[in-house]
Amino acid sequence: MIPAIGLLLGIAAGLMLDVQVPLTLQPYLPIAVVAALDAVFGGVRAVMDGVFDDKVFVISFISNVLIAAFIVFLGDQLGVGAQLSTAVIVVLGIRIFTNVANIRRHLFHA
Amino acid sequence: MPDHAHGKFVPSSPRSGPRRLWKAFTARPDGGQVVVAGLIAALGFGAVVQVRADESDQLAQARRSELVQILSDLNQRNSRLEDEVAELQAARRELQSGAQTEEAALEQTATRARQLAILAGTAPASGPGVVVTIADPSERVQARHVMGIVQELRVAGAEAIQLEGGNDNVVRIGVDSYFLDPDGVLTVDGVPITRPYVLTVVGDPSALNASVLFLGGSEEIQDESLVEEHEDLLVDAVREPERPEYARPAPDDN
Repeated sequence: MIPAIGLLLGIAAGLMLDVQVPLTLQPYLPIAVVAALDAVFGGVRAVMDGVFDDKVFVISFISNVLIAAFIVFLGDQLGVGAQLSTAVIVVLGIRIFTNVANIRRHLFHA
Repeated sequence: MPDHAHGKFVPSSPRSGPRRLWKAFTARPDGGQVVVAGLIAALGFGAVVQVRADESDQLAQARRSELVQILSDLNQRNSRLEDEVAELQAARRELQSGAQTEEAALEQTATRARQLAILAGTAPASGPGVVVTIADPSERVQARHVMGIVQELRVAGAEAIQLEGGNDNVVRIGVDSYFLDPDGVLTVDGVPITRPYVLTVVGDPSALNASVLFLGGSEEIQDESLVEEHEDLLVDAVREPERPEYARPAPDDN
């Protein structure tokens, strides 16, 4: 319940406040959002599997975001930022698909 | 909450996934849920901000290589457009100079037409000249004498001549003017002109004066005529322009 309310609050805050993304963060925010999405879907799956642990979720969420941003930062420094961010997106996308497939099995038994 | 001890579901719970989800959803909140909620709120906030930033500015999201690509595209387009501008400016200059040349030619032609119109007698003329008055009360002056004085005036450089009679008829003397006196009445170009004759002549006044006094050749005119020099005369009678019937401008093939 509280996490759902938190999601709504976050979206509302994003819509209400006219926040400009700082220039230094601009390459990393999309990747961070995708990484956090992956963590959230993993958390939902863990709830359904009955193995959810909020410490694990918090650590995986934060480390996902930080590692994704760091990989992109490293890629930018090495001159392969575009390719590395594509790679991160692909990997996270695959993980999201896997998690959603698990959730789907729980929901529809198929 | 027997199955939610320390924020952890019991893996061996017989319930299925959706029921566990529902159970978690309706569970009494604790500290761990609040932290999770905070993280998820951060996710929602970040996602919305990112979507809005993406809508507002595409370039700000672009990477260096993309920016370089965009910049080089723009540079190419810019140089193409600059070429086009240069071409169009050259065309404009050409057209302008063409228009100026044409205007100058037109102006020159108009000036020449005005000069020719004065010589042909189709336009009024003004300038210095003489007025020759031939009173001739004894009616000694005949058409040939008038023609003679006109010829003399032309030799002396008369540029515009008009002849006015006592009956207020005025004739501009042109290249094809003719002088007759069939019934003792002077007729110029078919217009009867009675005595006294007044010739208004535009030209060099002293030369015209001399031509009448000394080159007139006929005593009749010299006796009867009175010459006055004027600084500014107006010859306002005009001839109808006539289109040559046979002559055509010769081909200009020198």
